[in-house]
Amino acid sequence: MRKNLPFAKGVLLLLLFFMIALPFVPLLLSSFSFGWQWPHIVPEAFSFRAWNYVLTGSSGTWQAIGVSIFIALIVTSINILLAIPAAHALVRFSFRGKWLMETILFAPIVIPPFVAIMGIHLTFLRLGLTETLLGVVLAHVSPTLPYVVRAVMVSYQTLSVDWEDQARMLGAGPISRFYSVVLPHLMPGIIAGASLSVLISLSQYLITFIIGSGQVVTLPILLFPFISGGDPAVASAYSLLFAVMAIASLVGLDVLLKTYYRRKKTRQKTAKGVTT
Amino acid sequence: MSDLQICQMKKQYPQTPKNENTAFSLQAVNLTIREGEFFSLLGPSGCGKTTLLKLVAGLLAPDTGEIWVGERNLTAVPAEARQFAMVFQQSLLFPHMTVEDNVAFGLKMQKVSKKQRLAKARGMLKRVGLNGYGTRFPDALSGGQQQRVALARALVTQPRVLLMDEPFSALDPSLREEMRELLSQIQKEFQVTVLFVTHDREEAFYLSDRIAVMSDGEILQVGKAKELYERPQTTKVALFLGLKNSIEGIVENGQFCSSEKQFNFSVGTTTPNGQCHLILRPEALQLITKESVNPSDGICLHGIVKEIRFSHGFYVVNIHTAEYFLECNLNSQQVAHVTIGQDIKFMVDAKDLWVVQNK
Repeated sequence: MRKNLPFAKGVLLLLLFFMIALPFVPLLLSSFSFGWQWPHIVPEAFSFRAWNYVLTGSSGTWQAIGVSIFIALIVTSINILLAIPAAHALVRFSFRGKWLMETILFAPIVIPPFVAIMGIHLTFLRLGLTETLLGVVLAHVSPTLPYVVRAVMVSYQTLSVDWEDQARMLGAGPISRFYSVVLPHLMPGIIAGASLSVLISLSQYLITFIIGSGQVVTLPILLFPFISGGDPAVASAYSLLFAVMAIASLVGLDVLLKTYYRRKKTRQKTAKGVTT
Repeated sequence: MSDLQICQMKKQYPQTPKNENTAFSLQAVNLTIREGEFFSLLGPSGCGKTTLLKLVAGLLAPDTGEIWVGERNLTAVPAEARQFAMVFQQSLLFPHMTVEDNVAFGLKMQKVSKKQRLAKARGMLKRVGLNGYGTRFPDALSGGQQQRVALARALVTQPRVLLMDEPFSALDPSLREEMRELLSQIQKEFQVTVLFVTHDREEAFYLSDRIAVMSDGEILQVGKAKELYERPQTTKVALFLGLKNSIEGIVENGQFCSSEKQFNFSVGTTTPNGQCHLILRPEALQLITKESVNPSDGICLHGIVKEIRFSHGFYVVNIHTAEYFLECNLNSQQVAHVTIGQDIKFMVDAKDLWVVQNK
């Protein structure tokens, strides 16, 4: 068994490569192609036309990326603010109709978004929220919130009430207790939930399209017409750009939190260094 | 004087459908703990001692009853404002803070400046024998060290009362003894009032000025360790304190008579008539040898030695008398004369015969 380990590792790595990296190759080729037809394995001619269109000029790509990320971040912030009290209530208290609350909270994962969005659309029309950034943000909350609540709940379940009791006995009021005991413990769950929330929000097409009615332009909105029959080269370029955006925002979030932690630690270390 | 007073404190837990036997409840508790006293609640697990402690802390709300410290009624004061400190069974050190910051946490909550609180925290860490550990994180400490930090953290704010919920029960025996000594020293030094919960009678006896023995949500007896041990008021207390030689009998006209008629002696007319138990402490059974003087008063017994076991420093000898198995403690010199199967004579001094009423 032991001997086979490097071999198994190699096979797994290869599999991973085929599953994840390989699909990007034709995408890359396609984005640089100038007419790529069956039965050619590689394009006959290359050009920068698609990238030229996507990255410069009047395509509005940069603005769409900005809008996408802006929406994702606002949505995630709202989710975190909603998820912490929700998780607290669902984990700590037993109350009548708890199962119903949980079902409602987690329903968006199970029910197709299209069903919910038709109702939301009607309501938003009456409220005048369609075609606005606020409307899109609110609509994005519904498919993302369950993931954040779920992740924070898992963190909450591992936080024994004793910790809060201990902080209480040391004289910490509700706010200090939350800030210095509960929040640090929930951090991993919050990070996991936030990452999911950002990714899901970035990749929303249908909800953004219906609520935004084409007025709120995110990257998927730009991408979609090219995929469904327009220009495969431009669609490929947008797809790659989308992947880069998603990965970059995830890495960005990760780096932000890690530096936050590191700074906190070094601050403590320097404080010690001075005093001892 | 700022004694801690617990008046008519009651707590009834709601009956849960899962738990079909009667729900746990804490009977009305009245206790006065003097300032600077080390007071222990001793009882088996599930007897309500932790519930009582949490009621005193304010972490649980009582159904009825009041808490007073000196002239102040603290019943309505929330836990964080009572200026009590508490050490739990687990050390519960905040993992994202250094040891120093953990100890200084209580002072931070009191808005003490950073310089001052860190200085105080370091002083306290030195006092519990952890000088130089301040910059570490809690996970780099051993269990005993963590509990020391927890103790330092509780004491640094100079609490009115220090509450301790089986703080050493998760530690191994030798460490437990070390912590016991440390706590005893520190308690005397700081003159802090301590309410200590434990199920370990040795621990309670070692540390406490006074002990309350609890069982099934009720305080059975309060007293000094020696009082409790030599003069238990009920068989339950006796049994919990490890006094296994309990002989059923009846008192009539100042005469105790065991149900098997083996014991028959005068207990004085002050003892009321009725069913009762004779409690014989294992060290009260004295071996009669050729040299030993015959007892002037008291009773003599004889029995066959069934078992001899060594227990730290002395021997536990099981003797089968006519009707009862009795346990007695002998030292190694005495044991030298004794073999298993031998018929030995022993006596009990009249003052060591203790009769308790059945309740």
